[in-house]
Amino acid sequence: MSDRQFIIPIGPQHPALKEPESFYFTVDGETVIDVEPRIGYNHRGIEKAMEVRTYIQNLYITERVCGICSNAHQTAYTGSVEEVAGIEIPERAKYIRVFVQELERLHSHLLWLGVAAHEIGFDTLFYYVWRDREIVMDLLEEISGNRCNYAIPTIGGVRRDLNKDNFPRWNKLVDTIFERTEYYIKVASTEQTILDRAIGVGYIGKSDMIKLSGAGPNARCSGVPCDIRKLNPYLVYDQLDFEHIVVDNGDVLGQVLVRALEVLESCKILKQVMKDIPEGEINTKFSPLNKISAGEAAYLVEAARGELIHYTISDGKNMPFRHKIRAPTMANLLSLVERLKGGYIADIPIVLAGIDPCFSCTDRMVFYDEGKDKKWSWTEDQLRKYRREWFEK
Amino acid sequence: MSIVTWARTRSPWLIHFNAGACNACDIEVVAALTPRYDVERFGALLKGSPRHADVMVVSGSVPRKIRNRLKRIYDQMPAPKFVVAVGSCAISGGVFQNCYNSMDGIDKFIPVNAYIPGCPPKPEAILDGVVKLLISAGY
Amino acid sequence: MSIEEQQKFLESLNEVGVTEAKLRRLNTAYAKTSRDKLLKVVEHLKDKGFVHITTITAVDMLEHYDIVYHLRNQGFALNLKVAVPKDDPKIPSVTSILAGANLYEREVNDLMGVFPEGHPNPARLILDYDWPEGLHPLRKEETIEGLREKADKAIGDLENE
Repeated sequence: MSDRQFIIPIGPQHPALKEPESFYFTVDGETVIDVEPRIGYNHRGIEKAMEVRTYIQNLYITERVCGICSNAHQTAYTGSVEEVAGIEIPERAKYIRVFVQELERLHSHLLWLGVAAHEIGFDTLFYYVWRDREIVMDLLEEISGNRCNYAIPTIGGVRRDLNKDNFPRWNKLVDTIFERTEYYIKVASTEQTILDRAIGVGYIGKSDMIKLSGAGPNARCSGVPCDIRKLNPYLVYDQLDFEHIVVDNGDVLGQVLVRALEVLESCKILKQVMKDIPEGEINTKFSPLNKISAGEAAYLVEAARGELIHYTISDGKNMPFRHKIRAPTMANLLSLVERLKGGYIADIPIVLAGIDPCFSCTDRMVFYDEGKDKKWSWTEDQLRKYRREWFEK
Repeated sequence: MSIVTWARTRSPWLIHFNAGACNACDIEVVAALTPRYDVERFGALLKGSPRHADVMVVSGSVPRKIRNRLKRIYDQMPAPKFVVAVGSCAISGGVFQNCYNSMDGIDKFIPVNAYIPGCPPKPEAILDGVVKLLISAGY
Repeated sequence: MSIEEQQKFLESLNEVGVTEAKLRRLNTAYAKTSRDKLLKVVEHLKDKGFVHITTITAVDMLEHYDIVYHLRNQGFALNLKVAVPKDDPKIPSVTSILAGANLYEREVNDLMGVFPEGHPNPARLILDYDWPEGLHPLRKEETIEGLREKADKAIGDLENE
């Protein structure tokens, strides 16, 4: 490493994103040369804990793996356990699971859009988007009683039903979100302040993304079609009409476009579900004492952040023998490193926020000047101020 | 009441620290900033640095790796300082009690002034908790 | 690919050393191979389009360890299981073939203790830096209380910095 290169640790406390993770950046002047992610600040020992709890108790742990994509985790968990046990869930339950999953995708993408706007420096858009997100949170609260961790899927179906008297009102709310998101897409693609800080920033090409096995909107913004809902449909996605959103930009603008367009597709799916949902039972009985026959199953789900896998192995008891969860952000860490390399320090917050990470990144940034043996700290606000001044030059 | 106490209780500056949480509590804390709940009408701002903050809002069940950071951030806050534990995980470990890597509650490491239960607590509950804390501390 | 094509493809894998290949339904297959044929099989699969690795799972099957590679070719998911003996917990690293496997192999090493030979950087990934060496949480012989005791004893109290 030459004399001009320094290592900057960032993390694990960071106001930009709400989870702890630490990165060590090797920089040369203003340019990032290399990045080493250090994860594990959020490691709670969930997989081990699941081995000593029954299948019904594990529903509540899988929900809390991540509070933003909790329903995706539950859908994958119940899907894999039902496959091992040979349980077939009723059609109405499948439609309800899709409904809640798409609502969750809406709330997660709108959350991200607001956070990304905040990172770019566009706080007005942040407040507008989060105000619209409240419409989705209200819908979720009406359906399940909670704004996060809704516990709708259970083994054998879903726990709560949808009341079709509400559908006309919900249709109007979904239309509101659709119109407002179209407006935000127009703003994002024409507003010069956003374009300056998003075009070309954090670029990664299609072949690199395929090589590093990226997933979710991060891969789709670089031209890789990888939506599990289209490639390997589960629940009733093969009967619904929606597009597979893939763009070629590869940079932060691509991230914005993919997620905003997916919001529009989710609105379409919600309306179709409300139109097509069949009558019927919502679950088949499954008690916590039920044993599940031995076997294994891997279940893939498209969470808001990407491809999520739950793999379960049963040995004939009422507790899982082994349950493996791989959340989508781990698949995107390697491509994150490639995005950051060659960029400026000032772009670090927006590229980090751009991949929609699901771990906390903390704020403490320590600059260590090896030559002069001096240390000083920058907070996130100071970094943002630095970035604004940098862009004004 | 001195002017410093008056200023401090009229506009508390918050810092949010995620000690290994699942993010549900964290997004409810951020949602408290948004137009519907609007914590800024109480003068509360969410700051980035512990040196600027009066109240630290902590969520999460404290995995082993992060406990030193938690203590360090607490030590960097200037006195008088208050800590609010948001969510069941910060109070007692929540669903993750007795997991091998979870330390079960932040009050083992730093003194806590207010506990807001919930999984996650609604933004209104968080605001209620912070306001009650300030009223009990300021007057 | 249709079900028939996928079935034919799985049968063709028998030549490279894949055994017990079963197509459970459209786009989902389970298969086994042995540790010494692993690299050849993964190379062959990559040529046939399995360029995406979803994750790697380590399972403690009491008499041996099982390492499961979850690969994907567009929509076709293949779960490939490899048995590893307990007295020699090592497995050749596939990171040179599938770059995406990098972090997953480190996680398997941390949590189950199966070492990826040939991995460019097999450093600790998830566990605490002062977590004791040789203590692998997912092994069946470790209980949760036992882990907490051992870790607390080794790491000690909160340092006063």
